[in-house]
Amino acid sequence: MDKSICVRNVNVWYGDNHVLHDVEIDVMKNRITAFIGPSGCGKTTLLKCLNRMNDLIPSFKMDGTILVDNEDIYAKKVDVLALRKKVGMVFQQPNPFISSIYSNLKLPIRENFPKMRRNEVHDTIINKLEDANLLEEVKNRIHHSAMQLSGGQQQRLCIARALTINPEVILFDEPCAALDPISTMKIEDLLTSLKEKYTIIIVTHNLQQATRIADHAAFFYKGKIEEQGPSEEMFLNPKSPLTQDYLHGAFS
Amino acid sequence: MSKLSNTSALNRRKITDLFGQSISWLFSSITIAVCFAIIIYLVIKGKNKLSLDFLLTQPAATMDQHKSGGISTPLIGSIILTFIGIIVAFPWSLSTSIYLSEYSERNPVAGFFRVCIDILAGVPTIVIAIFGLAIFSNPQFGFLSSMVEGVAGARKAFGRSFLVCGLTMAVMVLPFIIKTCEEALKAVPASYREGSLAMGASKWHTITKIIIPSASNGIITGVVLGMGRIIGDTAIVWLTLGGTLRMTGHQPWWLPQNWWSALTNTGSTLTSYIFYTSPAGEVDMPQVAFAGSLVLIILIIILNLVVEFIGKSKSIQKEQ
Repeated sequence: MDKSICVRNVNVWYGDNHVLHDVEIDVMKNRITAFIGPSGCGKTTLLKCLNRMNDLIPSFKMDGTILVDNEDIYAKKVDVLALRKKVGMVFQQPNPFISSIYSNLKLPIRENFPKMRRNEVHDTIINKLEDANLLEEVKNRIHHSAMQLSGGQQQRLCIARALTINPEVILFDEPCAALDPISTMKIEDLLTSLKEKYTIIIVTHNLQQATRIADHAAFFYKGKIEEQGPSEEMFLNPKSPLTQDYLHGAFS
Repeated sequence: MSKLSNTSALNRRKITDLFGQSISWLFSSITIAVCFAIIIYLVIKGKNKLSLDFLLTQPAATMDQHKSGGISTPLIGSIILTFIGIIVAFPWSLSTSIYLSEYSERNPVAGFFRVCIDILAGVPTIVIAIFGLAIFSNPQFGFLSSMVEGVAGARKAFGRSFLVCGLTMAVMVLPFIIKTCEEALKAVPASYREGSLAMGASKWHTITKIIIPSASNGIITGVVLGMGRIIGDTAIVWLTLGGTLRMTGHQPWWLPQNWWSALTNTGSTLTSYIFYTSPAGEVDMPQVAFAGSLVLIILIIILNLVVEFIGKSKSIQKEQ
């Protein structure tokens, strides 16, 4: 199977705070990989290293190698904007822009594909809304404010927005943390269908969610990956005692 | 004895409470009363003179209050100055506030910038005015006003014109517009920035397409407040617009081909008109001074209502 992302020997500091220790993980193409573990264990930090969103934090310092498609993304010649086109991201809180549903998708297309013709832009928007299972619900009001959508719809809009730039990998940072069970279910269905086209990495606190959708899982504890592997195997027969305790709800 | 019954200590606290409440109520009522007193007084004193005719005729050079004409040129002067001032100050302060709120975070120089802006906000307008006059009467700036002629050996610009005054006004309102714009930009949630940057958008694209539109209400509020300050300022008008009530460019000043001449020559505003016609000015015509004040106050009230309205529409947007 093809590897999409290779993380080798990564250490991360925020100021003097050493938050990731010697992390190594491979992410497979067209699979869902889940990062699980208690709060503050470094899952989101690693996730944000993969599209260099951590660059925005002044005290961030990293050491080690991260390869996306065999390319070192922390090499000097790398264009961060091009990397973020390749590795998209969806956040914990739905964050649509204060504008219509339509222009929420049009803005990134215009920015990333300035030469695209108007009818192509329109088709892309409709396709991506459909891919995000949102078109049916909003087709009569795509020019209305995105702020009027429910939380779950907003999150699917954000997913559609991430799809518009044709990424290869999409990072999800606890995408369902702010949503109700039904919206969560819809997003999980969506993720499962998206893995045909995209490589997906999801950070989640919800173990059932990881069990339901992930092909691979990595258990983080205090900045280290304690255990990783195919998710079924890991959830049924965890090798590390810490993973066992976590899966049995001894701590969270 | 039950613990809930009245004791003298409890009574004393109740009385203190009542006293404190009455005092704060009294003083806030006095504030409102002063505000209304000014407006009502101006209405009573100024309403007789106020008419469409008063708004549309030029002031006349006379000592007779009944032949003194209207306030058309001061009114237009106020509008022209506000326009010039905002045209200059708005892009200037918006880009400064973008630097302060979006680009300067890791830079200690920004702290120094903020202190300087605060100091500029505290500089009395008469000081800014004299500074403007000093700068713009240099002969290099003669194209903004006119050159002094007929004085042997003098090579100086006149340093008084609508353009000079508008530029000086722009400097005066800069710190206020910068502050409100910066607050507005900072109030845009970080998640919008992240959302845009995570899609491969550049920082500039994020600022122009996402952040500024989201902050537009706050930015417009800043501009309207700036307009209010320009309309209300007297010291800068006094020093850099000169001592004439009428437009002094080529006549008639309102002809399109005379626009540059009108802008590079002197005139008046409502505030300077009120000064001239008040007992402290050159002529003592309290009736027209009050009528002019009334018009000025009405303009200020309208601007305040606009700000109020923008604030309301902002909160509605948040609820959605």
